[in-house]
Amino acid sequence: MAALTPRFDIERFGAMKVGSPRHADILIVTGPITRESRPRLIRIYEQMPEPKFVMAVGACAISGGVFSGCYNVCGGACNVLPRVDMVVPGCPPKPEAIIDGLVKLIEALKRARR
Amino acid sequence: MSRVELTDLLAYLVFPGYAFLVLMAFFLEWLDRKTLAKVQDRYGPLVVGPSGLLQPVADFIKLLSKEDILPKGASRGILTAAPILMAALPLTALFFIPVNGHRALVCFEGDLIATLFILVIMALLVFLTGWASANAFAAEGAMRSALQMLSYEIPLALTAICPALMAGSLCISDIYAGQARAGLPFIALVPPFGFLSFVIFLICSLAELERVPFDAPEAETEIVAGWMTELTGRRLALIRLGRNLSFLLMAGLMASLYLGDPLTFHVAWLAPLAFVLKALACAILMSFVRGIVARLRIDQTLRFFWTYMIPLAAGVLLATKLILTFFG
Repeated sequence: MAALTPRFDIERFGAMKVGSPRHADILIVTGPITRESRPRLIRIYEQMPEPKFVMAVGACAISGGVFSGCYNVCGGACNVLPRVDMVVPGCPPKPEAIIDGLVKLIEALKRARR
Repeated sequence: MSRVELTDLLAYLVFPGYAFLVLMAFFLEWLDRKTLAKVQDRYGPLVVGPSGLLQPVADFIKLLSKEDILPKGASRGILTAAPILMAALPLTALFFIPVNGHRALVCFEGDLIATLFILVIMALLVFLTGWASANAFAAEGAMRSALQMLSYEIPLALTAICPALMAGSLCISDIYAGQARAGLPFIALVPPFGFLSFVIFLICSLAELERVPFDAPEAETEIVAGWMTELTGRRLALIRLGRNLSFLLMAGLMASLYLGDPLTFHVAWLAPLAFVLKALACAILMSFVRGIVARLRIDQTLRFFWTYMIPLAAGVLLATKLILTFFG
């Protein structure tokens, strides 16, 4: 959230929070995936139009973090979704790190196009 | 092709026709995002183009290239036609606005009524889009937008008649020119009713454009994205363009109905510039309101319009007519 608010303002790079997965380009996963949330996350991912990208933000979202091994946790986004394009480590990651991850994702896309 | 025809063609295609209007629509989105960011103490778009000026264009191109998803059970016909109409209709209505400061590209007695009619069709298209999306959130948003239309449409029409009464014409270009003849913009004429009429028009415009505080039909914090929930790719791009064009239309209407002036009207090169600046000022005003108020629930919107706006609009219309009849 801090990345959206005045101090860091990710809209400088043209990124905005949207309400509907149908309008989204990037899915940001911010927590561990439980058995309960797993089918919902997959469904949201499938609702997004191509081309789409996934960012896992924070240790929990990457691997489950301190919650990995809990009886109800399936791990992080990497264990559940077919793709994760960018991981931002940290517990919690700093807003600068999130924005840096986003910008690096864009740069990786530019390089891939060439 | 003769010279006259060529200038006509250029007027329709370049200034003040299609190219200019679409560019202005993109510019307005940028201005809107920048103003909102300034109110919230942010920068807003900054990286794409100078000061982020190209951000709306980049967004538009990006949306054009996205995957086009049509949900199961959604009506292909409506979801194809509605976005096209929603971009085309405000563009049509913008041809009635005297953007060059003198006379609109298309102008006839009654084009004010035609513009109001187009605004109603826009609201109906919103309802149809939401309904045809076969999605619970979209249907909810569609219902809300239909309810909202019932609330703002009447005061909008009532208050738009006030400048028409002043100028004695239902042609937007004539109303604009009438203010130059009268020597004062309508907003300052028959005080305080001209100003009241402007404020009512501003509030109704916010409701028409579904902007905060009247954005219940697309309240992203409760019903995902309202009637736009299921739209992707090209459809969404066209609808967003259409919304920017509507924004331009309402700002242009405000400038032409209320802010005409004798100073710039007779100077050939100054008139278009002054008109555009007036419209931009109105747009900034609307963006500013968006930054400083919270969203009303749909029942609050309805109650607000039916208990305050409609009687006020009717009163202002009556008072304007009486003053005009007795004092000239």
